Amino acid sequence: MTGATPSWAVGPFVLYLLLIASLPLFLGRFWEHNRNKLLVAAVLSLPVLVYLFGSKGGEGATEVLHTAFDYASFMALLGALFTISGGICLRGSLTGSPFINLTFLSIGALLGSLIGTTGASVLLIRPLLRANTRRAYSTHVVVFFIFIVSNAAGLLTPLGDPPLFLGFLRGVPFTWTLRLFKQWAFVNGVLLTVFTVIDRFLLARERRRPRRTDDLFPPDGDDGPLRLEGQLNLVWLLGIVAFVFAIGSFGGTLLGESYLRSLVEILGLVGLAALSFFTTARTVHERNRYSWAPIIEVAVVFVGVFITMIPALSYLAERGASLGIVRPAQFFWASGALSSVLDNAPTYLTFASLATGVANAGSGLLSAANLGGLAAHPFGEKLLVAVSCGSVMMGAITYIGNGPNFMVKAIAEQHHVRMPGFFGYVLWSFAILVPLFGIVSAMFF
Amino acid sequence: MKKDILVCLEGSSSAESATRLAIDVARTCGAGLAGLAIVDEPDIRAGAAMGIGGSAFKHERDEALVADAHKHTADWIALFERRCREAGLSGRGIEMVGRPSDAILEEMEGHDLAVIGRDANFRFETEREDLKTLDVVLHKASRPVLLVPDVADTALGSIVLIAYDGSNAAKRALNSFATSGLAPGRTIHVATVDDNGARAWEMADRGVQILAAMKIPATVHSVVSVQSNVDALFTLAEQLQAGLMVMGAFAHSRLRHLFSGSAMRGLVERSTIPLYLQH
Repeated sequence: MTGATPSWAVGPFVLYLLLIASLPLFLGRFWEHNRNKLLVAAVLSLPVLVYLFGSKGGEGATEVLHTAFDYASFMALLGALFTISGGICLRGSLTGSPFINLTFLSIGALLGSLIGTTGASVLLIRPLLRANTRRAYSTHVVVFFIFIVSNAAGLLTPLGDPPLFLGFLRGVPFTWTLRLFKQWAFVNGVLLTVFTVIDRFLLARERRRPRRTDDLFPPDGDDGPLRLEGQLNLVWLLGIVAFVFAIGSFGGTLLGESYLRSLVEILGLVGLAALSFFTTARTVHERNRYSWAPIIEVAVVFVGVFITMIPALSYLAERGASLGIVRPAQFFWASGALSSVLDNAPTYLTFASLATGVANAGSGLLSAANLGGLAAHPFGEKLLVAVSCGSVMMGAITYIGNGPNFMVKAIAEQHHVRMPGFFGYVLWSFAILVPLFGIVSAMFF
Repeated sequence: MKKDILVCLEGSSSAESATRLAIDVARTCGAGLAGLAIVDEPDIRAGAAMGIGGSAFKHERDEALVADAHKHTADWIALFERRCREAGLSGRGIEMVGRPSDAILEEMEGHDLAVIGRDANFRFETEREDLKTLDVVLHKASRPVLLVPDVADTALGSIVLIAYDGSNAAKRALNSFATSGLAPGRTIHVATVDDNGARAWEMADRGVQILAAMKIPATVHSVVSVQSNVDALFTLAEQLQAGLMVMGAFAHSRLRHLFSGSAMRGLVERSTIPLYLQH
């Protein structure tokens, strides 16, 4: 390390995250265009790159190259999961009874860790909305869908949620996240129970008044029993799980901890995505309204995230203990609070780096670049559990905490479900999620 | 005399009532009739807090909601024009894209009277109910507004109650109604609510004199009641079996608005008969 990281170098990262959160609200038209997103990313990345290449020389260049491979791996996984889940379509009509809704959400809670929370959300939200078309009250179904399927479901594997995959890319073993089973089971169990109580209560209140029959997307052609289209994608999905597991478990031994490993990883994931794309019938993509636009947007925005966070992560790893956040409960709440208003993936890495600094306690044995050490450290592991739970679960608190949240809201609104506004949704979160997280904090941290 | 009437089209039952009454008024006054349907694109496309990757979904959602809104407005205009044809009128449908309050205020300029359903939700794609549009329109309207609740009648009632407090808005409302062509053939009552009965009588009588000068006969009512002004007016309207109430809308000064705003809103929300309001 060439000297301590200056505090100003953290500025672009903080500013970039704030802009990602606020520009869609205040300059929506501007933020719509990927060119403008790239422009913002470039402007804020520039001082960071100047610092890295100028002040840190070769070491800075190595960090940038390493980060570039991390970025490519990250996008390859997100793209692969996005492509494969976009090739699976659940069709058929069901009645939105409390049992059916509970079944959907329970399946989503399981699928989230297998195909990612975005994939599970894409797969399940439209059939669930169709099932509830005739329900007078369906807002709560979508809100709990976001809580469970789009967020809490993704805690069990690195495939579940981008923060955990970032951890995996930085050395957290593939199976390590299975240690979060207790928290996953408790949170999803409580949410499913609360949902069922509310759903039954609201169903009893409903006067079965018919919904508008002129829905923009009527269930035309989606009548009949529930059936899955694009089943071959389940094979590609298993391929992703097996491949990522194999790379995580044996990649280091077979390929070394090198760029070769990353390259194989990227090519493998892109290959599986390509297989999925070319073997999926166009009709399935059309039914899912599959488009590259969301993943391109994610790719553009994360360029800036990955570059600007390089010095920020170093800074936190160096000064972790001095920032006053030292206990697991503090990590849980702090990472969670920030994940609810900023994207949870960079927030996870930020706090994992901070945890490295705390667990290091000046020893210098642990590195933010390899979180495997943190996961294996007796105290560091507790901190990493807290950061993982906080980042993944509390991404549900607002529409901006996690990518799928807004996607689900937008799809629900297209189906004429009146979704609460930003603050209305936060009220739901504060009534249900925050007390639940209080219990999680008391029980586990 | 009303020459040109604007009715705001929307899918709620009070907007349906508004259309029925507008057709009746247009036929009575021999006025032209235009139906305005609005696509609230600014609110649909307004910026929203979203996570990374949300822009594409927002764009798709916006396009779907705008298309849906256009479909609704086309349906409402077609229905309005058909009803006009059935009534022997040549109703003209207008679709405007923009903020509903701005669209209504802009279109009102070219008409003598705007007829609006009290519970109309012009922001139907994004909001469960729309209190904002009516608030803004009533505050800024340069023309009288006939606000119609969900009523079964297909014609304005024959008994009219004019609430008169001597304010400029009340004077304008009275004058506007008197020259609207709606007064002839109707029984008109002018009432003032005050703690002092003599003062109330005197004030109401001034209103009656104004009408008398325009050869419109009216009856004076002074109301002294322990009820609020709004409740006292409702009670009197019920006793008189009035089918229309005429009054001045919000006063101009900020202070008066502070007090009159909530009363106005209460009156608008609770009224079971059409209100003829003039700012």
